[in-house]
Amino acid sequence: MILLNYIASFFLIALGLYTIVTKHNLVKTVIGLSIADYGANLLLISIGFNPGGTAPIYTWTELNPSSFFVDPIPQALTLTSIVIGACVTAMSLALVIKLEEQYGTTDTREIRRLRG
Amino acid sequence: MSPVINALSYQHFPIYAIMVLFLGAFLIAVFGRNRTARNVLALLSITASLAFILALIRPVMLGGEIIAYWLGGRVPAGGYAIGIALEVDALSLFFALIVAVAVFVSGVYSIQYMRHDDNEREYYTLFLMLAGGVMGLVLSGDLFNMFIMVEVLTFAAVALTAFRNTATGALEAAFKYLVVGCIGSTCILVGTAMLYAQAHTLNLAQLAQLLPGNLNTATKVAFALLFVGFGTKAFIVPFHPLAADAHGAAPASISVMISGVLTKSGIYGIIRLTYFLFQTMNLGTMQFLLVFVGSLSMFICVTMALAQHDFKRLLAFHSISQIGYVLTAVGLCTALGVSAGLYHAMNHTLFKGLLFLAAGAVLHETGTTDLGKLGGLSKKMPHTTVLFLIGAFSISGIPPFNGFASKWMVYQATYQKAVESGNIGFLLVTIIALVTSVLTLASFVKVSQSVFFGQLPKELEHVKEVSFGMRLAMGIFALLCILTGLFPGLVTSYITEPAARAVFSVAQYISAMGFDASGVAAESVVSFAHVGVWEPISWLLILCIALLAITIVAVASKYDNVSQRSGEAVDTKYELFYGGEAQEFSQVGGGDLFWGFKHNWRGYFDFMYRLHSGVVNDYALWAVVDLALVMLFSLIVL
Repeated sequence: MILLNYIASFFLIALGLYTIVTKHNLVKTVIGLSIADYGANLLLISIGFNPGGTAPIYTWTELNPSSFFVDPIPQALTLTSIVIGACVTAMSLALVIKLEEQYGTTDTREIRRLRG
Repeated sequence: MSPVINALSYQHFPIYAIMVLFLGAFLIAVFGRNRTARNVLALLSITASLAFILALIRPVMLGGEIIAYWLGGRVPAGGYAIGIALEVDALSLFFALIVAVAVFVSGVYSIQYMRHDDNEREYYTLFLMLAGGVMGLVLSGDLFNMFIMVEVLTFAAVALTAFRNTATGALEAAFKYLVVGCIGSTCILVGTAMLYAQAHTLNLAQLAQLLPGNLNTATKVAFALLFVGFGTKAFIVPFHPLAADAHGAAPASISVMISGVLTKSGIYGIIRLTYFLFQTMNLGTMQFLLVFVGSLSMFICVTMALAQHDFKRLLAFHSISQIGYVLTAVGLCTALGVSAGLYHAMNHTLFKGLLFLAAGAVLHETGTTDLGKLGGLSKKMPHTTVLFLIGAFSISGIPPFNGFASKWMVYQATYQKAVESGNIGFLLVTIIALVTSVLTLASFVKVSQSVFFGQLPKELEHVKEVSFGMRLAMGIFALLCILTGLFPGLVTSYITEPAARAVFSVAQYISAMGFDASGVAAESVVSFAHVGVWEPISWLLILCIALLAITIVAVASKYDNVSQRSGEAVDTKYELFYGGEAQEFSQVGGGDLFWGFKHNWRGYFDFMYRLHSGVVNDYALWAVVDLALVMLFSLIVL
């Protein structure tokens, strides 16, 4: 049911963007970013999926034209993307802590000293 | 390709130029406790990177060679790229050159400028990461590699924006930048994934071979995602508020990086996307998209700049306004247009870097960038003043400085396009570009008046000239501004023209990587004749600009007088400038020189002020709306 994966991934991306746009709490904004990122990861991993394929782990001698495995490149990309996602979360949460200390609130509508 | 390449061959220089920066970042993180060690390491790595890039000028720019470099020697197998590649054509090298020069000057400046900050080690580590990220982005030949570099540079830029986290708004700016920047990065990732799903390759050259002519709904959506993603990196409308926030809060040396280097990476991405991957620039509608977004950025940002009271925030809006010129010119898809856009991109880095460094020098000595609190610094900081004026003249497009040469080419290109295509809309673009130039000049009259001339406030009596290292950095930029302005012929024929030619040589770009380019039209027949700048008629244009600027000042002062006569909103602080009386240290408020102009346009400014609300949700909403619009556009048009 690979189609379900695609639907789910775009649903997650849309949900993440919806969260970022509508929620006024900084922590929820960060959660929105993570959800959108998970959606992108799910999309990546689904793209490389071949129904019935095995894990793409071979030595040169084992590899022959009849080998049938899932595409390893999206898996590598997904790993990279997960690491980056973790960094985004860590860094944005660090900023949220500092912002809360400085502004005394986590409401985005009150954190707007820079405007106009 | 020969399997054994001498390690000193210039084929390896692109990867060296990227590696020395990341290696420098790593070594500083490890050994950077000592100030001397840190400075030496930082200077060494930026100098080495610059040297490697300069050494590539001869083979790539002049020789017209395209360097195809497969990391680990993993050349394509069975017609498919399996390794990560670097591909350096004249366009990549052109942007790499801009990056290397800006990084070098900014690094030299940082040594004195950041001396009084804590955590210098972290600063240099992040600084070199940012530099390496952009360098890696422009030299990369692989779409996913570009995404990684985008993330590296976004992260470093966010961290550096928040570097002085006690300064007003630094954290706030960093958070907004992170949120919208990450929406952009996610867009790039999803776009990359969708292209991979369709073409099963991430190599730019191979994508350029496979995509055109085989577009379906998925690739069209991917185009929109990538366009918006690179748009967030270039800060074009509607992402300009982030640039303003980030510039205002970041240290000046980082502002140079953000405005001179980061925005260029976005422009580079857009050029690669539209001219190479999808090759859609011959469509009139696609030209319209770029020119429209560019003109919008040009105009909105210059008017926003007029309303600013903060030195660096004002410069930030001007920066995006100039990026609008670049995008407009590139979007014309003519030889002259692309040359003009690239020339202006280079000049933008030079003069904007100079202006930000001058603003940094003012901040360093006075502790403020509020235009209302500054004044009369020309007596205390004469060198900085002269350097600032060079930058201000350049950005306003006054001959013989470089801004004039490139802006003139932009006017010429838009006008030529209007004549050739018979489309009156491009003439309108010429007019918008001219008006923007006038408003830029007007705005810099205001800045010079309120920062460097006028009365010196009592609090600033102790101010001294900045140290030699900082003046040296500004001097390099100023010298380059003058040189590129005095010799536009040399610049166009040796630097921008090869780069512009590369933009139109998609087939060479594909075949250099060993792929079949027979499906792509050979080098588009583009005439580079008449790509010049010095024409007598230009003086007429200068006259027009000067007259318009005078008109604006006159209108502004007239409205002030009227309002004062009628007794409406009388404020004594305006009296000195227009009436010539009153207290010793009173002066025109920095943001108030064009008070009448703003009053006249108050509907527009009120509207803009409400739009730039400063709430991160609104900016995210703009990003989503922009994405939706571009997606709709590309589904209909492509």
